[in-house]
Amino acid sequence: MKWAWLLSIASLPASAATFLPQTEASILLQRIADAPRHVSYEGVFVTQHGDRMQSLFVANRPEGTASGSHLKALDGEKREVLCDKSGATNIVFRDGQVSTEKRLSARHFPDLLPLNAAALANWYSVRLGGMERVAGIDCQLIELAPKDVFRWGYMLCIEKLSNMPIRAVMLNGQGQPLMQSAFTSLKLGGAPDLPATSLPPVPDGTRPVTADSIEVRSLPPGYTRITAVRRHIPNHPAEVEHWVFSDGLTYISLFMEPATHPVETVRGQSKHGMTNLLTRQVGNIQATVLGDAPWPAIELLATNLEPRR
Amino acid sequence: MQRSVQHTQQEDDTLSAFIDDELSEDMARTAIKRLAANRPERKRHAEYCAIGDAMRGLPFGQADLTDRVMAALEKEPTVLAPMRRAPDRRPVMWLAAATVAALTWGLWAAAPRHEPPAQVAAAQPGNVQAYLAAHEDYAQAVDTAPDMHYTRVSLTGLGK
Repeated sequence: MKWAWLLSIASLPASAATFLPQTEASILLQRIADAPRHVSYEGVFVTQHGDRMQSLFVANRPEGTASGSHLKALDGEKREVLCDKSGATNIVFRDGQVSTEKRLSARHFPDLLPLNAAALANWYSVRLGGMERVAGIDCQLIELAPKDVFRWGYMLCIEKLSNMPIRAVMLNGQGQPLMQSAFTSLKLGGAPDLPATSLPPVPDGTRPVTADSIEVRSLPPGYTRITAVRRHIPNHPAEVEHWVFSDGLTYISLFMEPATHPVETVRGQSKHGMTNLLTRQVGNIQATVLGDAPWPAIELLATNLEPRR
Repeated sequence: MQRSVQHTQQEDDTLSAFIDDELSEDMARTAIKRLAANRPERKRHAEYCAIGDAMRGLPFGQADLTDRVMAALEKEPTVLAPMRRAPDRRPVMWLAAATVAALTWGLWAAAPRHEPPAQVAAAQPGNVQAYLAAHEDYAQAVDTAPDMHYTRVSLTGLGK
Protein backbone atom coordinates (compact mmCIF):
# COMPACT_ATOMS: atom_id res chain seq x y z
CA MET A 1 0.00 0.00 0.00
CA LYS A 2 2.86 2.28 0.87
CA TRP A 3 4.12 1.94 -2.69
CA ALA A 4 0.76 2.59 -4.27
CA TRP A 5 1.36 6.32 -4.66
CA LEU A 6 4.57 5.62 -6.49
CA LEU A 7 2.70 3.68 -9.13
CA SER A 8 0.60 6.70 -10.01
CA ILE A 9 3.42 8.14 -12.09
CA ALA A 10 2.27 5.72 -14.74
CA SER A 11 -0.86 7.82 -15.13
CA LEU A 12 1.13 10.86 -16.21
CA PRO A 13 0.89 11.61 -19.91
CA ALA A 14 3.94 10.38 -21.73
CA SER A 15 5.28 12.05 -24.82
CA ALA A 16 8.77 11.69 -26.17
CA ALA A 17 8.61 14.93 -28.09
CA THR A 18 6.88 17.55 -26.01
CA PHE A 19 7.44 19.10 -22.62
CA LEU A 20 4.96 18.21 -19.92
CA PRO A 21 2.39 20.81 -18.89
CA GLN A 22 3.76 22.58 -15.86
CA THR A 23 1.25 21.02 -13.48
CA GLU A 24 2.22 17.49 -14.44
CA ALA A 25 5.87 18.52 -14.35
CA SER A 26 5.43 19.81 -10.79
CA ILE A 27 3.81 16.59 -9.65
CA LEU A 28 6.48 14.45 -11.28
CA LEU A 29 9.35 16.51 -9.86
CA GLN A 30 7.89 16.30 -6.37
CA ARG A 31 7.65 12.52 -6.65
CA ILE A 32 11.25 12.29 -7.79
CA ALA A 33 12.29 14.53 -4.91
CA ASP A 34 10.38 12.47 -2.36
CA ALA A 35 11.71 9.09 -3.48
CA PRO A 36 15.19 9.14 -1.87
CA ARG A 37 13.59 10.36 1.34
CA HIS A 38 11.13 7.48 1.50
CA VAL A 39 13.02 4.55 0.03
CA SER A 40 15.78 2.50 1.64
CA TYR A 41 18.64 1.67 -0.65
CA GLU A 42 22.31 0.85 -0.80
CA GLY A 43 24.64 0.67 -3.72
CA VAL A 44 27.68 2.01 -5.49
CA PHE A 45 27.63 4.93 -7.85
CA VAL A 46 30.23 6.59 -10.03
CA THR A 47 30.58 10.32 -10.41
CA GLN A 48 32.34 11.65 -13.49
CA HIS A 49 33.38 15.27 -13.72
CA GLY A 50 35.57 16.19 -16.68
CA ASP A 51 38.41 13.71 -16.74
CA ARG A 52 37.95 12.73 -13.10
CA MET A 53 35.99 9.75 -11.92
CA GLN A 54 35.12 8.65 -8.41
CA SER A 55 33.32 5.60 -7.04
CA LEU A 56 31.24 5.92 -3.90
CA PHE A 57 29.27 3.60 -1.68
CA VAL A 58 25.95 4.98 -0.50
CA ALA A 59 23.37 3.66 1.93
CA ASN A 60 20.12 5.28 2.96
CA ARG A 61 17.72 4.36 5.72
CA PRO A 62 14.95 6.92 5.76
CA GLU A 63 12.91 5.71 8.71
CA GLY A 64 13.34 4.62 12.30
CA THR A 65 15.59 5.77 15.07
CA ALA A 66 18.72 4.88 13.10
CA SER A 67 17.64 6.81 10.02
CA GLY A 68 20.21 8.58 7.95
CA SER A 69 22.54 8.12 5.06
CA HIS A 70 26.17 7.18 4.60
CA LEU A 71 28.42 8.13 1.72
CA LYS A 72 31.91 6.65 1.39
CA ALA A 73 34.53 7.34 -1.27
CA LEU A 74 35.88 4.05 -2.59
CA ASP A 75 38.93 5.45 -4.36
CA GLY A 76 41.39 8.21 -3.71
CA GLU A 77 41.53 9.80 -0.30
CA LYS A 78 39.39 8.01 2.25
CA ARG A 79 36.45 10.30 2.91
CA GLU A 80 32.97 9.72 4.22
CA VAL A 81 29.83 11.71 4.85
CA LEU A 82 27.41 10.72 7.58
CA CYS A 83 23.98 12.30 7.60
CA ASP A 84 21.46 11.90 10.38
CA LYS A 85 18.79 13.93 12.08
CA SER A 86 21.41 16.20 13.65
CA GLY A 87 22.92 17.13 10.27
CA ALA A 88 25.79 16.02 8.09
CA THR A 89 29.42 15.38 8.97
CA ASN A 90 32.44 15.16 6.69
CA ILE A 91 34.98 12.60 7.86
CA VAL A 92 38.47 12.65 6.32
CA PHE A 93 41.11 10.00 7.05
CA ARG A 94 44.55 11.45 6.35
CA ASP A 95 48.03 10.41 7.59
CA GLY A 96 46.56 8.14 10.22
CA GLN A 97 44.42 10.94 11.60
CA VAL A 98 40.67 11.31 11.42
CA SER A 99 39.26 14.78 11.08
CA THR A 100 35.61 15.67 11.19
CA GLU A 101 33.68 18.77 10.36
CA LYS A 102 30.08 19.72 9.92
CA ARG A 103 28.89 19.78 6.34
CA LEU A 104 26.44 22.54 5.50
CA SER A 105 24.28 20.37 3.24
CA ALA A 106 23.01 16.87 4.05
CA ARG A 107 22.05 16.21 0.43
CA HIS A 108 23.96 14.06 -2.03
CA PHE A 109 23.24 11.83 -5.02
CA PRO A 110 20.61 10.47 -5.57
CA ASP A 111 18.83 12.98 -3.30
CA LEU A 112 19.14 15.87 -5.74
CA LEU A 113 15.82 17.69 -5.83
CA PRO A 114 14.74 20.03 -3.02
CA LEU A 115 11.94 19.44 -0.52
CA ASN A 116 9.63 21.72 -2.50
CA ALA A 117 10.61 20.39 -5.90
CA ALA A 118 7.33 21.35 -7.57
CA ALA A 119 8.49 24.97 -7.77
CA LEU A 120 11.37 23.87 -10.00
CA ALA A 121 8.82 23.67 -12.81
CA ASN A 122 8.88 27.49 -12.85
CA TRP A 123 12.45 27.38 -14.07
CA TYR A 124 12.82 24.04 -15.84
CA SER A 125 10.71 22.48 -18.56
CA VAL A 126 10.28 18.76 -18.06
CA ARG A 127 10.14 16.19 -20.82
CA LEU A 128 9.81 12.42 -20.67
CA GLY A 129 12.33 10.50 -22.71
CA GLY A 130 12.74 6.86 -23.53
CA MET A 131 13.64 3.92 -21.36
CA GLU A 132 17.22 3.10 -20.44
CA ARG A 133 18.99 0.53 -18.35
CA VAL A 134 21.32 1.58 -15.55
CA ALA A 135 22.92 -0.84 -13.09
CA GLY A 136 20.72 -3.58 -14.50
CA ILE A 137 17.59 -1.59 -13.69
CA ASP A 138 15.13 -0.22 -16.23
CA CYS A 139 14.63 3.50 -15.85
CA GLN A 140 12.74 6.35 -17.49
CA LEU A 141 14.65 9.32 -18.88
CA ILE A 142 13.43 12.71 -17.64
CA GLU A 143 14.88 15.88 -19.09
CA LEU A 144 14.93 19.10 -17.08
CA ALA A 145 15.62 21.85 -19.61
CA PRO A 146 16.34 25.27 -18.10
CA LYS A 147 13.97 28.03 -19.21
CA ASP A 148 16.72 30.67 -19.02
CA VAL A 149 20.49 31.02 -18.96
CA PHE A 150 20.89 31.01 -15.18
CA ARG A 151 21.02 27.25 -14.59
CA TRP A 152 22.33 24.06 -16.14
CA GLY A 153 20.04 21.39 -17.52
CA TYR A 154 19.68 17.86 -16.21
CA MET A 155 18.89 14.47 -17.61
CA LEU A 156 17.67 12.06 -14.96
CA CYS A 157 16.92 8.41 -15.31
CA ILE A 158 14.40 7.34 -12.68
CA GLU A 159 13.50 3.86 -11.56
CA LYS A 160 9.86 3.48 -12.54
CA LEU A 161 8.42 2.05 -9.35
CA SER A 162 10.19 4.15 -6.78
CA ASN A 163 10.86 7.27 -8.89
CA MET A 164 14.44 7.18 -7.57
CA PRO A 165 17.00 8.87 -9.79
CA ILE A 166 19.58 6.23 -10.58
CA ARG A 167 21.47 8.35 -13.07
CA ALA A 168 21.82 12.15 -13.24
CA VAL A 169 23.65 14.09 -15.93
CA MET A 170 24.26 17.83 -15.71
CA LEU A 171 24.15 19.39 -19.19
CA ASN A 172 25.36 22.70 -20.57
CA GLY A 173 23.39 24.87 -22.98
CA GLN A 174 24.57 22.78 -25.92
CA GLY A 175 23.38 19.58 -24.28
CA GLN A 176 26.93 18.43 -23.54
CA PRO A 177 27.46 16.58 -20.27
CA LEU A 178 29.32 18.49 -17.59
CA MET A 179 29.02 15.98 -14.78
CA GLN A 180 27.22 12.75 -14.23
CA SER A 181 26.50 10.34 -11.44
CA ALA A 182 25.14 6.85 -12.03
CA PHE A 183 24.66 3.76 -9.94
CA THR A 184 26.69 0.72 -10.97
CA SER A 185 24.91 -1.46 -8.42
CA LEU A 186 21.82 -0.73 -6.42
CA LYS A 187 19.59 -2.61 -4.00
CA LEU A 188 16.28 -0.91 -3.29
CA GLY A 189 14.37 -1.65 -0.10
CA GLY A 190 15.50 -3.55 2.96
CA ALA A 191 17.17 -1.97 5.94
CA PRO A 192 20.77 -1.19 5.09
CA ASP A 193 23.23 -0.98 7.96
CA LEU A 194 24.63 2.41 8.70
CA PRO A 195 27.90 2.76 10.60
CA ALA A 196 27.46 3.33 14.30
CA THR A 197 28.05 6.99 15.00
CA SER A 198 30.81 6.50 17.54
CA LEU A 199 32.37 9.78 16.55
CA PRO A 200 32.74 12.35 19.25
CA PRO A 201 30.32 15.24 18.93
CA VAL A 202 31.40 17.39 16.03
CA PRO A 203 31.50 21.08 16.85
CA ASP A 204 29.29 23.05 14.56
CA GLY A 205 32.07 25.36 13.39
CA THR A 206 29.61 27.88 12.05
CA ARG A 207 27.77 30.83 13.52
CA PRO A 208 24.70 32.44 12.03
CA VAL A 209 25.14 35.80 10.39
CA THR A 210 23.38 38.36 12.52
CA ALA A 211 23.78 41.42 10.31
CA ASP A 212 24.39 41.39 6.58
CA SER A 213 27.59 43.18 5.66
CA ILE A 214 26.69 43.70 2.03
CA GLU A 215 23.52 44.01 0.03
CA VAL A 216 22.50 41.89 -2.95
CA ARG A 217 20.50 44.16 -5.22
CA SER A 218 19.12 41.36 -7.35
CA LEU A 219 19.44 37.64 -7.80
CA PRO A 220 19.01 35.39 -10.82
CA PRO A 221 15.30 34.50 -11.12
CA GLY A 222 14.21 31.69 -8.82
CA TYR A 223 17.24 31.88 -6.55
CA THR A 224 16.89 32.57 -2.84
CA ARG A 225 19.39 32.72 -0.03
CA ILE A 226 19.30 29.41 1.84
CA THR A 227 22.31 29.77 4.12
CA ALA A 228 24.22 32.61 5.77
CA VAL A 229 26.91 31.59 8.25
CA ARG A 230 30.29 32.65 9.52
CA ARG A 231 32.78 29.82 9.39
CA HIS A 232 36.46 29.02 9.56
CA ILE A 233 38.01 27.61 6.41
CA PRO A 234 41.60 26.49 5.83
CA ASN A 235 44.24 29.14 5.05
CA HIS A 236 42.00 31.95 6.25
CA PRO A 237 43.03 33.13 9.71
CA ALA A 238 39.74 34.89 10.42
CA GLU A 239 36.19 33.69 9.99
CA VAL A 240 34.70 34.24 6.55
CA GLU A 241 31.07 34.87 5.83
CA HIS A 242 29.49 32.20 3.62
CA TRP A 243 26.14 32.76 1.99
CA VAL A 244 24.53 30.20 -0.30
CA PHE A 245 21.89 30.90 -2.92
CA SER A 246 19.91 28.22 -4.70
CA ASP A 247 17.03 27.58 -7.05
CA GLY A 248 16.71 24.12 -5.52
CA LEU A 249 19.07 22.39 -7.93
CA THR A 250 21.91 24.86 -8.44
CA TYR A 251 23.99 26.22 -5.56
CA ILE A 252 25.97 29.45 -5.65
CA SER A 253 28.24 30.46 -2.78
CA LEU A 254 29.23 33.98 -1.80
CA PHE A 255 32.29 34.23 0.44
CA MET A 256 33.16 37.51 2.13
CA GLU A 257 36.12 38.62 4.17
CA PRO A 258 37.76 41.97 4.89
CA ALA A 259 39.88 43.19 1.98
CA THR A 260 43.34 43.70 3.41
CA HIS A 261 44.59 45.23 0.15
CA PRO A 262 42.99 46.33 -3.13
CA VAL A 263 41.31 43.33 -4.73
CA GLU A 264 41.65 42.67 -8.43
CA THR A 265 38.50 41.57 -10.22
CA VAL A 266 39.24 38.04 -11.39
CA ARG A 267 37.10 35.55 -13.25
CA GLY A 268 37.65 31.83 -12.81
CA GLN A 269 36.32 28.98 -14.87
CA SER A 270 36.79 25.24 -14.60
CA LYS A 271 38.10 23.32 -17.59
CA HIS A 272 34.70 22.40 -18.99
CA GLY A 273 32.92 25.52 -17.81
CA MET A 274 30.77 23.83 -15.17
CA THR A 275 32.16 25.83 -12.25
CA ASN A 276 32.40 29.61 -12.51
CA LEU A 277 33.80 32.19 -10.13
CA LEU A 278 34.21 35.93 -9.78
CA THR A 279 36.23 37.71 -7.11
CA ARG A 280 35.88 41.45 -6.63
CA GLN A 281 36.02 44.19 -4.05
CA VAL A 282 32.77 45.50 -2.59
CA GLY A 283 33.50 48.45 -0.31
CA ASN A 284 36.11 47.16 2.08
CA ILE A 285 35.14 43.54 1.54
CA GLN A 286 36.60 40.92 -0.77
CA ALA A 287 33.65 39.06 -2.25
CA THR A 288 33.95 35.78 -4.14
CA VAL A 289 30.95 34.32 -5.92
CA LEU A 290 31.27 30.76 -7.19
CA GLY A 291 29.24 27.72 -8.03
CA ASP A 292 28.42 24.95 -10.45
CA ALA A 293 26.30 27.41 -12.39
CA PRO A 294 26.48 29.10 -15.80
CA TRP A 295 28.51 32.27 -16.02
CA PRO A 296 25.47 34.59 -16.38
CA ALA A 297 24.21 33.51 -12.94
CA ILE A 298 27.59 34.12 -11.29
CA GLU A 299 28.03 37.39 -13.17
CA LEU A 300 24.58 38.68 -12.29
CA LEU A 301 24.99 37.96 -8.61
CA ALA A 302 28.55 39.29 -8.41
CA THR A 303 27.79 42.52 -10.22
CA ASN A 304 24.81 43.25 -8.01
CA LEU A 305 26.65 43.35 -4.72
CA GLU A 306 27.04 46.65 -2.96
CA PRO A 307 28.16 47.80 0.48
CA ARG A 308 25.36 48.02 3.00
CA ARG A 309 24.79 51.63 4.00
CA MET B 1 -22.06 33.35 -2.38
CA GLN B 2 -19.56 35.60 -0.70
CA ARG B 3 -18.14 32.64 1.13
CA SER B 4 -17.70 30.83 -2.18
CA VAL B 5 -15.82 33.76 -3.71
CA GLN B 6 -13.67 34.08 -0.62
CA HIS B 7 -12.93 30.38 -0.68
CA THR B 8 -11.85 30.62 -4.32
CA GLN B 9 -9.69 33.60 -3.48
CA GLN B 10 -8.01 31.63 -0.72
CA GLU B 11 -7.41 28.75 -3.09
CA ASP B 12 -5.95 31.15 -5.62
CA ASP B 13 -3.62 32.52 -2.98
CA THR B 14 -2.48 29.07 -1.99
CA LEU B 15 -1.94 28.13 -5.62
CA SER B 16 0.07 31.29 -6.29
CA ALA B 17 2.13 30.75 -3.16
CA PHE B 18 2.73 27.16 -4.25
CA ILE B 19 3.95 28.28 -7.68
CA ASP B 20 6.18 30.89 -6.06
CA ASP B 21 7.66 28.27 -3.70
CA GLU B 22 6.38 30.11 -0.67
CA LEU B 23 4.48 27.28 1.00
CA SER B 24 5.81 25.17 3.82
CA GLU B 25 6.73 21.62 2.97
CA ASP B 26 3.50 20.26 4.44
CA MET B 27 1.34 22.80 2.64
CA ALA B 28 3.16 22.19 -0.63
CA ARG B 29 2.60 18.47 -0.25
CA THR B 30 -1.10 19.10 0.33
CA ALA B 31 -1.20 21.34 -2.73
CA ILE B 32 0.44 18.62 -4.82
CA LYS B 33 -2.11 16.06 -3.63
CA ARG B 34 -4.95 18.44 -4.48
CA LEU B 35 -3.48 19.08 -7.91
CA ALA B 36 -3.08 15.39 -8.58
CA ALA B 37 -6.72 14.73 -7.66
CA ASN B 38 -8.45 17.79 -9.07
CA ARG B 39 -8.61 18.50 -12.78
CA PRO B 40 -10.01 22.09 -12.56
CA GLU B 41 -7.28 22.90 -10.03
CA ARG B 42 -4.67 21.54 -12.46
CA LYS B 43 -6.11 23.70 -15.22
CA ARG B 44 -5.95 26.81 -13.07
CA HIS B 45 -2.39 25.90 -12.02
CA ALA B 46 -1.42 25.57 -15.68
CA GLU B 47 -2.96 28.97 -16.44
CA TYR B 48 -1.08 30.61 -13.61
CA CYS B 49 2.15 28.98 -14.72
CA ALA B 50 1.60 30.16 -18.28
CA ILE B 51 0.98 33.69 -17.06
CA GLY B 52 4.09 33.49 -14.90
CA ASP B 53 6.17 32.30 -17.84
CA ALA B 54 4.82 35.08 -20.03
CA MET B 55 5.53 37.70 -17.39
CA ARG B 56 9.04 36.37 -16.95
CA GLY B 57 9.54 36.57 -20.71
CA LEU B 58 10.16 32.86 -20.94
CA PRO B 59 9.65 31.35 -24.37
CA PHE B 60 7.87 28.19 -23.24
CA GLY B 61 4.15 28.46 -23.78
CA GLN B 62 1.27 27.72 -26.07
CA ALA B 63 0.04 29.41 -29.20
CA ASP B 64 -2.95 31.09 -27.59
CA LEU B 65 -0.98 32.19 -24.57
CA THR B 66 -1.24 35.90 -25.22
CA ASP B 67 -5.00 35.75 -25.49
CA ARG B 68 -5.31 33.76 -22.31
CA VAL B 69 -2.94 36.03 -20.44
CA MET B 70 -4.82 39.11 -21.57
CA ALA B 71 -8.13 37.52 -20.63
CA ALA B 72 -6.78 36.61 -17.22
CA LEU B 73 -5.46 40.11 -16.66
CA GLU B 74 -8.73 41.67 -17.78
CA LYS B 75 -10.44 39.76 -15.00
CA GLU B 76 -8.27 41.57 -12.47
CA PRO B 77 -10.30 44.18 -10.54
CA THR B 78 -9.53 47.81 -11.25
CA VAL B 79 -8.16 49.39 -8.11
CA LEU B 80 -9.77 52.79 -7.64
CA ALA B 81 -8.54 53.62 -4.19
CA PRO B 82 -5.88 52.46 -1.79
CA MET B 83 -6.99 49.34 -0.04
CA ARG B 84 -5.78 46.94 2.53
CA ARG B 85 -3.26 44.46 1.15
CA ALA B 86 -5.42 42.36 -1.09
CA PRO B 87 -4.68 38.67 -0.97
CA ASP B 88 -4.56 38.47 -4.77
CA ARG B 89 -1.01 37.69 -5.74
CA ARG B 90 -0.99 37.92 -9.52
CA PRO B 91 0.42 41.48 -9.61
CA VAL B 92 3.57 39.92 -8.17
CA MET B 93 4.05 38.46 -11.62
CA TRP B 94 4.16 41.95 -13.12
CA LEU B 95 6.77 42.75 -10.54
CA ALA B 96 8.65 39.66 -11.68
CA ALA B 97 8.53 40.94 -15.26
CA ALA B 98 9.88 44.30 -14.16
CA THR B 99 12.59 42.53 -12.20
CA VAL B 100 13.59 40.46 -15.22
CA ALA B 101 13.77 43.60 -17.32
CA ALA B 102 15.87 45.28 -14.65
CA LEU B 103 18.11 42.25 -14.44
CA THR B 104 18.59 42.27 -18.19
CA TRP B 105 19.50 45.95 -18.10
CA GLY B 106 21.75 45.38 -15.10
CA LEU B 107 23.54 42.57 -16.87
CA TRP B 108 24.10 44.69 -19.96
CA ALA B 109 25.24 47.74 -18.04
CA ALA B 110 27.35 46.03 -15.42
CA ALA B 111 28.74 43.15 -17.42
CA PRO B 112 32.45 42.64 -16.97
CA ARG B 113 34.35 43.77 -20.04
CA HIS B 114 36.98 41.19 -20.71
CA GLU B 115 40.52 42.33 -21.02
CA PRO B 116 43.12 40.37 -22.90
CA PRO B 117 43.89 37.20 -20.96
CA ALA B 118 46.30 37.90 -18.15
CA GLN B 119 48.91 35.48 -16.96
CA VAL B 120 46.82 32.80 -15.34
CA ALA B 121 48.99 32.30 -12.28
CA ALA B 122 49.17 36.02 -11.60
CA ALA B 123 45.41 36.42 -11.81
CA GLN B 124 44.51 33.74 -9.29
CA PRO B 125 43.00 35.34 -6.22
CA GLY B 126 44.58 34.25 -2.96
CA ASN B 127 43.20 31.26 -1.12
CA VAL B 128 40.31 30.80 -3.52
CA GLN B 129 40.94 27.06 -3.46
CA ALA B 130 39.69 26.99 0.14
CA TYR B 131 36.47 28.64 -1.02
CA LEU B 132 36.03 26.01 -3.72
CA ALA B 133 36.60 23.27 -1.15
CA ALA B 134 34.08 24.84 1.26
CA HIS B 135 31.50 25.03 -1.52
CA GLU B 136 31.85 21.26 -1.98
CA ASP B 137 29.45 20.92 0.98
CA TYR B 138 26.82 21.27 -1.75
CA ALA B 139 28.35 18.75 -4.16
CA GLN B 140 26.50 15.63 -5.25
CA ALA B 141 29.33 13.49 -3.88
CA VAL B 142 32.56 14.01 -1.92
CA ASP B 143 34.32 15.57 -4.83
CA THR B 144 37.50 17.58 -4.76
CA ALA B 145 37.63 21.20 -5.85
CA PRO B 146 38.01 21.57 -9.63
CA ASP B 147 41.03 23.00 -11.41
CA MET B 148 40.27 26.56 -12.43
CA HIS B 149 41.64 28.96 -15.01
CA TYR B 150 41.71 32.62 -14.00
CA THR B 151 41.50 35.83 -15.99
CA ARG B 152 41.56 39.45 -14.89
CA VAL B 153 38.40 41.31 -15.85
CA SER B 154 37.19 44.82 -15.20
CA LEU B 155 33.75 45.83 -14.02
CA THR B 156 32.16 48.83 -15.61
CA GLY B 157 28.95 50.51 -14.62
CA LEU B 158 29.56 50.04 -10.93
CA GLY B 159 31.05 52.53 -8.51
CA LYS B 160 34.18 50.51 -8.00
